[in-house]
Amino acid sequence: MVEGHVTISNLEKVYESGDERTKAIDDLSLEVPSGEFLSVVGPSGCGKSTLLYLVAGFLEESTGTIAVDEQPIEGPGTDRGVVFQDYALFPWRTVMGNVTYGLEQDGVPKEQRRATAQEFIDMMDLDGFEDKYPKELSGGMKQRVALARTLAYDPKILLMDEPFGALDQPLRELLQDHLLEIWRDVEKTVMFITHDVEEAVYLSERVMIMTRHPGTKKTTIEIDVDRTQDREDIIMSDAYTETKNQVWQSLREETQPEAQL
Amino acid sequence: MDVSNKLAVDRSDAINVGKSIYSLVIVLVLWEIVTQLGMVHYYFLPPLSDIIVRFYEMTLDGTLVHHGYLTVRRALVGLVIACVFGILVGVLSARNRVASWFWDPIIEVGYPVPVIALVPVFLFWFGTGDLAKIILVAIGCFWPVAINVRNATRDVDENLIWSARMMGTSDRQLLRKVIVPASAPGIISGIQIALPISLIITFVFEMVAGGGGLGHIEIQGVRSFDSVQVYATLIAIMILGFILDRALRLIRFRILSWT
Amino acid sequence: MSYADFRLTDLEETLPAPFQRFVWFVFEWIPLLIAAGFWEFASGTFVPSAILPPPSEVAYVTWELLATGDVISHLQISLYRVGVGLALSISIGVLLGVGMARSDPVEDFFEVFLALIYPIPKAALVPLAILWLGVGTETAILIVFLACLLPIVLNSYNAAQNVDQNLIWSAQMMGMPSWKIPLKVVIPATIPSILTGIRQAIPIAFIALVSAELIASNEGVGFEILRYSEVGAYTQMFAVLVIISAAAFFAVRGYEWLERKVVRWT
Repeated sequence: MVEGHVTISNLEKVYESGDERTKAIDDLSLEVPSGEFLSVVGPSGCGKSTLLYLVAGFLEESTGTIAVDEQPIEGPGTDRGVVFQDYALFPWRTVMGNVTYGLEQDGVPKEQRRATAQEFIDMMDLDGFEDKYPKELSGGMKQRVALARTLAYDPKILLMDEPFGALDQPLRELLQDHLLEIWRDVEKTVMFITHDVEEAVYLSERVMIMTRHPGTKKTTIEIDVDRTQDREDIIMSDAYTETKNQVWQSLREETQPEAQL
Repeated sequence: MDVSNKLAVDRSDAINVGKSIYSLVIVLVLWEIVTQLGMVHYYFLPPLSDIIVRFYEMTLDGTLVHHGYLTVRRALVGLVIACVFGILVGVLSARNRVASWFWDPIIEVGYPVPVIALVPVFLFWFGTGDLAKIILVAIGCFWPVAINVRNATRDVDENLIWSARMMGTSDRQLLRKVIVPASAPGIISGIQIALPISLIITFVFEMVAGGGGLGHIEIQGVRSFDSVQVYATLIAIMILGFILDRALRLIRFRILSWT
Repeated sequence: MSYADFRLTDLEETLPAPFQRFVWFVFEWIPLLIAAGFWEFASGTFVPSAILPPPSEVAYVTWELLATGDVISHLQISLYRVGVGLALSISIGVLLGVGMARSDPVEDFFEVFLALIYPIPKAALVPLAILWLGVGTETAILIVFLACLLPIVLNSYNAAQNVDQNLIWSAQMMGMPSWKIPLKVVIPATIPSILTGIRQAIPIAFIALVSAELIASNEGVGFEILRYSEVGAYTQMFAVLVIISAAAFFAVRGYEWLERKVVRWT
């Protein structure tokens, strides 16, 4: 499978409001090979969400290019699926209605899209909740619906914006493991924004650390952890601890620049 | 969880009304006693029993039903016309820059105009018939509907629009599939605000211009010094207002069961 | 604003700052000119100008009425009615709302009456007010009062019921006696909602005023509108309409301005 390769070159994003020009992203270049799980960490306000929304096509780059499989992107497209931190589920649609939405847009016949949606609903342990509205669900369930909704229409690239940020620790861990399992099955490229170093190192194959505002790539760190093990074994392993410290150090240099001087 | 909550609310409502109705009973009984003893002039406050008897008679001989129908027809037809145009203009000026440029200042200036003051001129332009009343109701209700629809449509959560876009929703579908459902609560609120306005305009028009309707027979009661008729008509107006308000709430509850 | 990127960027950069704002202001209000222009054109072509007087003439007569002072006395009367009616509904409405929210007996007593008044469009109470108070100022005041009462009661009731319990606890913790709490904690915490209720009530007050004056008055702007239309002086009628609309518009704007000045902490 050679799809879902993201190439970002010399990306720059400037926000203009009135006379003020704020540079959010400055000269950022990055390759995300197809099938890779990449996390992006950085100090708050460094533009990591902006980067994600640029790749999603919601925002327009000021200069530079973003390409998927060598094809420059033009606005949002079904090859990239975003999972928002606040879920962004359609409140007037049931769980089933939300998960089938993308397939409906794609013109999949009704029976078939219900069957496909059911598959992802089951995968997310949401069976029995098909006819519930989002307001009737807890935060963790909403996020699973959002994930199912995005997976259902089968984008090549998953763009996740701190998807577990609003959840409590046990639920987070559960969903992290769930995500890993799915990622192994579906072979998608993942760009995962988080501010949580442990989450980044636990989940991804590679972490990109961003500099302080205006954000750009500081460095990327490969994570070489044997992910066939259980969570306990992974977090006890030396490889995990070492990489975690390395990422943490690097990030700390950005959050405490004064200490450096 | 939600169902049991709703039940609890309903039950506490019932208890509340049951508990608090005593004050109404006291006042009604006092009303009857004071008027029967002749402590208040009959013209100001006739005995409650007389009013109820009259209300019963006027309902039975079809007076209230007929005039109530005239009033409701005028108010609702005007309201529906206002909703069609108000929703159209509201959505358009929230989603389209040129429409927003054009309509925003007009809404800004038109909204505070007490449209009811146009009753005399509409009487002159269109006469005492239904047409004048319906058009004026439509104009009066257009502004609150338009302004509420515009605000609701403008404030649709951007993430919802984005997530629809990424799932392949075209611009044209976006309106029907995301924007209208997402702003439905605001749209219905606008209609709920417009409903009493439609009734006010209809009543005032009927009082000033005649042409039948509850407002007309109410003011007739004043002019012929028949205060019992005024009170009896008011009971009908109260029931009518209550039914319309409840109906709209029911529709809201049905359509917006997801909120 | 949504049309911010509609800006004529080139024009902006070439013009000096005060001019830019002026150009922008004019640009924003052009639609009204278009509407007025259409009206001006329609009057005398599609529709006889006796039926639909052109805006230029209305504007002139508006100025004339204001300059000669013909309308001023009526405007004063109307504003007095709105003012007194609003003041009554605010003072009684806030007391009632807060009282009902914080005391069950009060709520039990008044709730049923409010529930009965709620569905009645207040203009329908004008005939009843005529029975009691006759034609004139008292009737108009009563209608304004009744029309504005409910939004104020409802807003202050909801707010007073939802006062943050932590605020009350911290007042108690600091030794405030319980009889002082309504005055010192509940009402201040409720003020933002009360102010919202008043803002909602102002346009309603003007609608109620005009309704009452059309049906039951011998003076005031509503009566003037009716009188001018009965003698066929439609230009004057529109002029009075412009004046009362402007009064309603500036009442809301003035109130919002005052609110921002006075209540800084919201």
